Amino acid sequence: MTQVSHGQKLISLAEAAALVPDGAHLTISGFAHSLAPLALVRELIRQGKGNFELTSMGDCWAADMLAGAGRLKRTRLSNYMFEGFGRCPNFSRAVEAGEVEADDYSHFAITSRWVAAALGLPSMPVRVMLGTDLVRKKPLDRDAIAEAPCPLTGEPLLFVRASRPDFALVHASRADAEGNVQVFGTVSTIEEQARAARRVIVTVEEIVSGQTIREQPESTLLPGFLVEAVVHVPYGAHPAGMFRHYNFDRQHVEHYVRAGKSPETFRQYLEAYVFGVPDHYAYLRKIGIRRLMELRADPWWGY
Amino acid sequence: MGQEIMAVAAARELRDNEMAFIGTGLPMIAAYLATFTHAPGLTLIFESGIIGAQPRGLAIGVGDFKLLSHCQKATSLYYALSLLQAGRVDVGFLGAAEVDQYGNINSTAIGDYRRPTVRLPGSGGANDIASLAKRVIIIVGHQRRKFPARLHYLTTPGFLDGGDSRRRAGLVGGGPSRVITDLAVLGFEPVSKRMQLESVHPGVTVEDVKAETGFELLVPSTIPETVPPTLGEIRLLRERIDPEGEYLAPPQPAAPKAV
Repeated sequence: MTQVSHGQKLISLAEAAALVPDGAHLTISGFAHSLAPLALVRELIRQGKGNFELTSMGDCWAADMLAGAGRLKRTRLSNYMFEGFGRCPNFSRAVEAGEVEADDYSHFAITSRWVAAALGLPSMPVRVMLGTDLVRKKPLDRDAIAEAPCPLTGEPLLFVRASRPDFALVHASRADAEGNVQVFGTVSTIEEQARAARRVIVTVEEIVSGQTIREQPESTLLPGFLVEAVVHVPYGAHPAGMFRHYNFDRQHVEHYVRAGKSPETFRQYLEAYVFGVPDHYAYLRKIGIRRLMELRADPWWGY
Repeated sequence: MGQEIMAVAAARELRDNEMAFIGTGLPMIAAYLATFTHAPGLTLIFESGIIGAQPRGLAIGVGDFKLLSHCQKATSLYYALSLLQAGRVDVGFLGAAEVDQYGNINSTAIGDYRRPTVRLPGSGGANDIASLAKRVIIIVGHQRRKFPARLHYLTTPGFLDGGDSRRRAGLVGGGPSRVITDLAVLGFEPVSKRMQLESVHPGVTVEDVKAETGFELLVPSTIPETVPPTLGEIRLLRERIDPEGEYLAPPQPAAPKAV
């Protein structure tokens, strides 16, 4: 397995995807139509990578693309939904066909599995999921949860096991060459995912100087020591959006959801936007400069 | 009309200065209506990490940048949901694919869990909200298939098996207080925690509600009519909150009843 050495964190998208082996356990950033490292996901698919296992909170886009390309083996998730557009078509069909194994959590419980890992604890107690099928039906993770009373007060709690994915794949606003990563707007579960994962790859809209990062250190979500590799990928979340950079592409989302209705039409989508374009810049040319400019954020509103 | 009265009935469940955890669609419309009328001090929280939203216009979802722009605090999902566990959230609004007689919700799967007929999106923050908020309001269209005798999957807790089973399971939030549909407002009988009819919307009969409910509904001897929306509420909904009719479709002519 390739390892990126310190001081050479800026790599290409192809190099970043090459770091991720088949069958890796991934956790991927994203919430609804934002923060999704979709240029990286497309490159993973283009390179033929697959057989992935996911631990997921809101990375509906990455999960649906991987499922639609037949690259997703199993997932523990709290929610995959294209907000405003309905269910994730490819993921739903893959689970219904028995091609993807799923094990469900709530948002707070799945995140708490990363928090446990981030804090160096074997597990984390929560007060959610109790009494429901999220506890009773655990096809993958029977050994990852346990009900037990608080040893100090006796209150009933659910303990969830620490989760340490092999990789966190993250899309963020900007970073410097040392891998200090800043995110504008809400930060989803990026920090918890990155602190839990063994290795962290970040794609960003902008590469800036270390001085620029240090002028606004309160915005640094991931300090460089957590981050193995950084890739400069403008519009790297498209068709999802990035707050203060660009809005999500409603037109393209509708196109994607329509294409996802059947395996045949989704195969055509992948041909057009993944296999049929050699790299991310060819993808952007296909989307077109006019559309990309229309999506640019208004600096006052941030979208 | 059905959706408008749902939004109005839901808005009236919110009190001024409460902390409210809000989902997409009608819950959001109801929350906006409350802030424009009797609850200007409502704090809107979204699981995406948005605290104190001050949205300009309708959002398509809880991750919409319209909610994030100019909110009080933009933070993480974990922070937002931890407010629930710390007991700081008064009320949560939830939608449902299926709801049973104890207010339990399915939003995960129809059919067998491992090989479902229809895979739904999953809990998201719904289980967290329903486990932990002081009270929960469920907003759902009133159709028999959405009110089954038995859920395919219990994603989100209401009163579980009724009685004190919710408390015994270790759930610290208060559970569902209201179920608001396009036919009626429903609540829960205090001891058994079974769903009971509270009021029927204008033009709806108790029999209509029973016909669209797949379990036995408790029906007290007198059922009032839901207080209809005021002209002011209707104007706010149609002219200010949802002028494009994105969620509140224009009223459809009633289908002729089979004789």
